[in-house]
Amino acid sequence: MKPRFPLRLPAAVAALLLLAGCSEEPQVVQYEQGKYQGKADSRPWEGGTFNGDKAAWERALHERVRSQNEYQRVE
Amino acid sequence: MLIKKNAAPGNAFRQLASPVARHLGETMDRRAFLRRSGLGAGAGVLATQLPYNLIGSADAASPAAAPATGGGEGEEVVRRTVCTHCSVGCAIDAVVRNGVWVRQEPVFDSPLNLGAHCAKGASVREHGHGEHRLKYPMKLVDGKYQKISWEQAINEVGDRLLKIREESGPDAVYWIGSSKHSNEQAYLMRKFVSFFGTNNMDHQARICHSTTVAGVANTWGYGAMTNSYNDMQNARAMLFIGSNAAEAHPVSLLHILHAKETGAKMIVVDPRFTRTAAKADYYARIRSGTDIPFIWGMLYHIFENGWEDREYIRQRVYGLDKVREEVMKWTPDKVQEVTGIAEEQVYTIAETLAKNKPSTVVWCMGQTQHTVGNGNVRAMCILQLVLGNVGVSGGGTNIFRGHDNVQGATDVGPNPDSLPGYYGLAAGSWQHWCRVWGVDYEWVKGRYASEELMTKSGITVSRWIDGVLENPADIDQPGGNLRAVVYWGHAPNSQTRGAEMVEAMKKLDTLVVIDPYPSATASMAAMVRKDGVYLLPAATQFETSGTATASNRSLQWREKVIEPLFESKPDQTIMYAFAKKFGFADELVKNIKLVKDKQGWDEPEPEDILREINRGTWTIGYTGQSPERLKLHMQNMHTFDVKTLRANGGPCDGDYFGLPWPCYGNPELKHPGTPNLYDTSKHVMEGGGNFRANFGVEKDGVSLLAEDGSASKGAELQMGYPEFDDVLLKKLGWWDELSDAEKAAAEGRNWKTDLSGGIMRVAMQNHGMHPFGNAKARALVWNFPDPVPLHREPIYSPRPDLVDKYPTHEDKMKFWRLPTLYKTLQDKVRDISKEYPLIMTSGRLVEYEGGGEETRSNPWLAELQQEMFAEVNPKDANDAGFRNGDYIWVESPTKAKLKVRAQVTQRVAPGTVFLPFHFSGWWQGRDMLEYYPEGAAPIVRGEAVNTATTYGYDSVTMMQETKTTLCRVAKA
Amino acid sequence: MARMKFLCDAERCIECNGCVTACKNEHEVPWGVNRRRVVTINDGVPGERSMSVACMHCSDAPCIAVCPTNVIYHTAEGVVLHDKDGCIGCGYCFYACPFGAPQFPNGPAAFGARGKMDKCTFCAGGPEENHSEAEFEKYGRNRLAQGKLPLCAEMCSTKALLAGDAAELSDIFRERALRRGKGFEAWGWMTAYGKDKEEAK
Ligand code: SF4
Ligand code: SF4
Ligand code: SF4
Repeated sequence: MKPRFPLRLPAAVAALLLLAGCSEEPQVVQYEQGKYQGKADSRPWEGGTFNGDKAAWERALHERVRSQNEYQRVE
Repeated sequence: MLIKKNAAPGNAFRQLASPVARHLGETMDRRAFLRRSGLGAGAGVLATQLPYNLIGSADAASPAAAPATGGGEGEEVVRRTVCTHCSVGCAIDAVVRNGVWVRQEPVFDSPLNLGAHCAKGASVREHGHGEHRLKYPMKLVDGKYQKISWEQAINEVGDRLLKIREESGPDAVYWIGSSKHSNEQAYLMRKFVSFFGTNNMDHQARICHSTTVAGVANTWGYGAMTNSYNDMQNARAMLFIGSNAAEAHPVSLLHILHAKETGAKMIVVDPRFTRTAAKADYYARIRSGTDIPFIWGMLYHIFENGWEDREYIRQRVYGLDKVREEVMKWTPDKVQEVTGIAEEQVYTIAETLAKNKPSTVVWCMGQTQHTVGNGNVRAMCILQLVLGNVGVSGGGTNIFRGHDNVQGATDVGPNPDSLPGYYGLAAGSWQHWCRVWGVDYEWVKGRYASEELMTKSGITVSRWIDGVLENPADIDQPGGNLRAVVYWGHAPNSQTRGAEMVEAMKKLDTLVVIDPYPSATASMAAMVRKDGVYLLPAATQFETSGTATASNRSLQWREKVIEPLFESKPDQTIMYAFAKKFGFADELVKNIKLVKDKQGWDEPEPEDILREINRGTWTIGYTGQSPERLKLHMQNMHTFDVKTLRANGGPCDGDYFGLPWPCYGNPELKHPGTPNLYDTSKHVMEGGGNFRANFGVEKDGVSLLAEDGSASKGAELQMGYPEFDDVLLKKLGWWDELSDAEKAAAEGRNWKTDLSGGIMRVAMQNHGMHPFGNAKARALVWNFPDPVPLHREPIYSPRPDLVDKYPTHEDKMKFWRLPTLYKTLQDKVRDISKEYPLIMTSGRLVEYEGGGEETRSNPWLAELQQEMFAEVNPKDANDAGFRNGDYIWVESPTKAKLKVRAQVTQRVAPGTVFLPFHFSGWWQGRDMLEYYPEGAAPIVRGEAVNTATTYGYDSVTMMQETKTTLCRVAKA
Repeated sequence: MARMKFLCDAERCIECNGCVTACKNEHEVPWGVNRRRVVTINDGVPGERSMSVACMHCSDAPCIAVCPTNVIYHTAEGVVLHDKDGCIGCGYCFYACPFGAPQFPNGPAAFGARGKMDKCTFCAGGPEENHSEAEFEKYGRNRLAQGKLPLCAEMCSTKALLAGDAAELSDIFRERALRRGKGFEAWGWMTAYGKDKEEAK
C-alpha cells in the first residue's frame, strides 16, 4: 500500500507553481485554483511503481518519449 | 476479481456479459467517423458493457526477466509473441496473470515494428476473451449445430473419411490447410496429408501470391520478397502497384514514410486512390487488369532513353532481347488506350525509377489475382532487372505477403505440387523426405492410390468446388469427384464463385471445419445441408508456440501466451489425434517428441518439429534456424539494427534478425541468414548471393550461367557455375575437405539432398561459393505459357474491342487435374459489358483480415467497421439513381446479387466499383444469423464479395481472378 | 515539469485506427465509447489527410470552465482529469469541448458510473489510488504512474501520434519536418501560427 497524498490537489498545484514559478509560465489556469471540488488525486510517481522517486519517474518517461522517435534507432 | 481459468474441458471459462450487441441495428458509414457513436449528442447510443474482470496490476515485468514458465497466483509474466494478422511480423508483449492475458505492451525493441501496431495488432489480446469463438466440437444435426464431445468428433469424422478413402480412394478427400498455421503446423500438415495418401491439399498462398512465387522463382530462383520492409529505408524511389500497404501492411508504412521523409520518391499506381496513394508523391490511375502494358510502357521509355543498366544485364540477365521486341510494340498511344494512363505520366514514373536508384517495387494482390498474374509479376521482375535493381540494398522486388505465415506455409506447408522446401513431387524428392521423416518410401507410396497420383499435383483450393461439381469423367484423377472437404484454418468467402460453392457444399458427403472461428463455412453449409458437417475448435497461435515467417523471410518464435481457451486444441495436437485414428501416428512423429497437455492429449512438440524442418529443408535454407537460435533473437531484439537488420554485438552478433531464409547449413555453421537475396556485394557466409542455377547451364546453345566477373564477394571462382553436387566437388578437387562421415552422406547426392550439409559447408565456408550455383536471371521463362509476359484481356473485360486484339489463352483440358476454360468463355461473354458495364474489383480494409470471421468477431475492431459497402463513383451512382448511404444491389454476370451500402466516392473512377473482401454472413440480401452455431456468429456480418465473383484462373498456378470482373449496380 | 501533450503528424497518419484499438484494449473501453477517434478530410481525393483526435488536454480547458460541480481538474503534468463520483452527467463539458472528447456511456455502470462522463485520461487514471481496482474500473489504467506513456501513441503504426512532454515532442517533430524539407503539416499548426508563417518557412 502506498501512502495517500495528504494534500488536496489545488494545494499541490500551488506548491508546485511556487517551485517552478520563477522559470516557467504557469500552465494551469488560475481561475480554477481552489474551485475544484472533486476528490484529491495522487501524483504519478507516488505509490507502487516509483514509490515517490520523482526523478526515476521522469527518467522513465523521458525514455518512453524517445522510443517514439524512430530516428533514435535509424539513421 | 481475477477469475482463474478452469482448465477442465467443457467449462465455460468466464461468464461474460451479453455479447456486444450482435443485433446492433445502428449501422455506420465507414467514413463518417464524426457522426458516429461517441459524438452523436454525447449519447453513446450503442454503449453496452464489458466486464472489468481483467484487472492488470501496475507493472509489466521486463521481458528479459520473464521466466519461461510461471504465472502462479497473482504473479505477472510477460510472454513475447507476434501478431497473427499480417506478414509484417509485429512483436507483442503479452502480460499474463493467473493464466489470463491481462495486458498487451508494445515491443519497442523489435527491429521490424519498433512497438508499432495497426488496429488489428493493437487488438490481439481479444483472442484471450474469444467470446465469439467456437467453444467445443459441434455437428450438424437436422440443420442445427449440436455440441458433441471431442472423442465422438474424432471418431465420427475419422470413420467417415476412412470410409470415403476406402470407397473412392484417398484423393476423394480434399484438405485445405492454412497460412495462419505456424511453420511447424503447416509442415506437419503436409506430412499428415501425404500419409493420408493424397496431394489434394492447398492453403491461402494459392489465392494470394501463388503467381508471384511461381513467376519470381522461375525468374531468378526463390519465390519470395527479395529485400525487407526495413531495407526500403534505403530506397530512393518506390513504386507500389496493386498494393495498398497503408491498409494491408500498415506498419510497413513506418519504414516507407521514414524513407519518404529522408527523400525517397513514392509512387502509387492503382485503379483506386487508396490510402497509400494519399501518402504518395505521385499517383496514376490504371484500368484494372492492364499491368503488363503499363510496365512495358515504362520499359519502352527506359529503352528509348538508354536508362537500362547495360553491364548488369550483360552479366546477370538471360533472354532480354525477346522481351525488348515485345516492349517496343507498346508505344505510348497503345499503352494509353489499354491502361488509361497518359504518356507523360508513364514517362515520369519510368524516369523517377530510373534516375533515383536504388529503386524498389512493391506489389500485392492487385498484380497476382489475375488470369495473367504470372505475367504481371514477371514483367515487374524484368523491370527491376533492366534497372539493375535486384540484389541491391534499397532495390529488389518487395512483394508484401498477406497472412502472418503465408510465406512459411508456402515454404514448408501443404502445397499440392511440392513437398516442404519446394522439393517437388518426383520420386527423388519423396525419397529425400522419407529419409528425413524416418519412414519407408514404399510405405508412403502404398498410402497413395498409385505412384502416378503420388507424383501428380493435386487440385488447388481455388478450384475445389469444381473437383466436386465437375463431370467425373473430366477430372484427371481415377477416383473422380471429391467427396469430403476439410477446411483447416481457411475462409470459404475468400474463394471466388461463392454462388457455386454452396452447390458444391450441398453435394459433399462430409464437410469438416477445424478453426477457432469456423462460422463462415459453418453458416454456408447449414444453409444448404441438414447433416454431415463437423466443426472442431482449434486454438489460436497465442495458445501454442512455434515459428512464423514474416514477409521478409525472417522467422520469429512465438511463446505460448495462454492455455487453449474453452475446449480448443492446437492444430498439431488435432493432427496427431487424427493420425492415431487413421493408423499412422507413429510414422507421423518418428523424430518428434510428444508432450502431454493438461487434459492428457499428446502434443507433438513444436521445437522438435522445427528441428525436423531444419534437417530436411536444404533448398531454401530453413536449416540454420534452430529453435535455440530463434529464441535468442526474440530475447535480444534490441541488438539488431533497424535498417540492416543485423545484430551489432551481443549474443546474436552478426546475425540478421530472425535468420531470414536462406540460412544455409546446420545451425552450427552459424550462417547469419540472408537479408537481401542475390546480393553479390556480400560474401555468401555474410548473407550474400547471386541468381540461382536452377534451369540447366545452357538453353539452345546459349549459356545460362553468369558472365565472368559476376559472382558473390569472395567467391573463389568469379564466374558463373552450376549447382553443387558430389561430382562437381570431386572435379574441383574439394571432395577431401569433407569428413569421412560427410563423405558417406554426400556420395551420390547434391547440396539439396546431402543430409550432412557437408557439400554446402565446403562450398560456402571454404570457398565462398554459392551451393545453388551462379546463373543469370531469366527474362524469358520458356517453360511458361507466355515466355515473355503478354497482355491478355481479362475474361470478363469491359472492352470487347480489346478482347479481339488481346485475347486470353486457349482452354486447357487437364490443368491441376481439372479442365479449365479461357477462350471459349471469353468469347461467350465478349459483349457482356453491355449488360454489366462496371468493373468490379475487391480489396482490403485495415481493420479486418482475410475472410474476416476472426476480426469481425473482435468487438474492438468490429465497432470500427460495421457494414459491408461498395465504393461507387458519383457519376455511376447518379446514373443508377442512388445516393451515398443507400442500400444497393451489386449484381455480377453470375446473377448473384449483393446487398450493400453505397459509399459514393471519387476514390474509384467512373466505371469501377470496389468492394472489400472481408465480409460474410449475408447471402444475397439475407442475414444468415440463423445458420450459425449458437454463440459463434461474428459481431459484424455482411455480403461476401466472392458470392458474386466470376470464373477465371491464372494459366500457371490456378490463381483466381478477383480483381477484374464486371457488375452492375441498382438501388435496393 | 513535464507538460503532457499529444501531437498527430498528418503526413504520417494513415487512418489505421491502431490508436483507437489500443485505447479500447488498454482500458477495456465499452462498445460505443470512443476516447479516441480518427478523422479524415478530403476522403478519397488528393489532399486526403487523417488525424487522430482525443481529449487535447487543453491548457485553458473549456470543460473545466463550464463544469457546474467543478469536478474536472488539471494535474500538474497538464493532464485534464475528472472525478466521476462528483460528476452529475449533465453533458455541459461535451458542449463546451471543441473536440467532442467527453463521452456519455449510458450502459449500466460502464466505467463504474451510469451516464457519467468518460473521456481520454492521457492514460493517467483518475482521482483514486494509483493502480487500484477502483481507479481501473472508473478511469482505466494509469500508465503514467507506471512511467509509461499513452498506449495509443506508443502503439501508433507510423509513429504519427506522439505523446509526452510538449518540449520533447517538438524536438521529435522538428527533426522530421527538417528532413521533409517542407512545411509543418501538423494538425493545428496553421490555426495556431497562421498561413504566413507557414509559407515563410
Ligand atoms: S496486422 Fe500486420 S501491421 Fe498490423 S500489427 Fe499485425 S503484423 Fe503489424
Ligand atoms: S495509429 Fe497512428 S497512423 Fe494509425 S490512425 Fe492512429 S494516429 Fe493514425
Ligand atoms: S491517452 Fe490513453 S485514454 Fe487517452 S486516447 Fe490514448 S489510450 Fe485512450
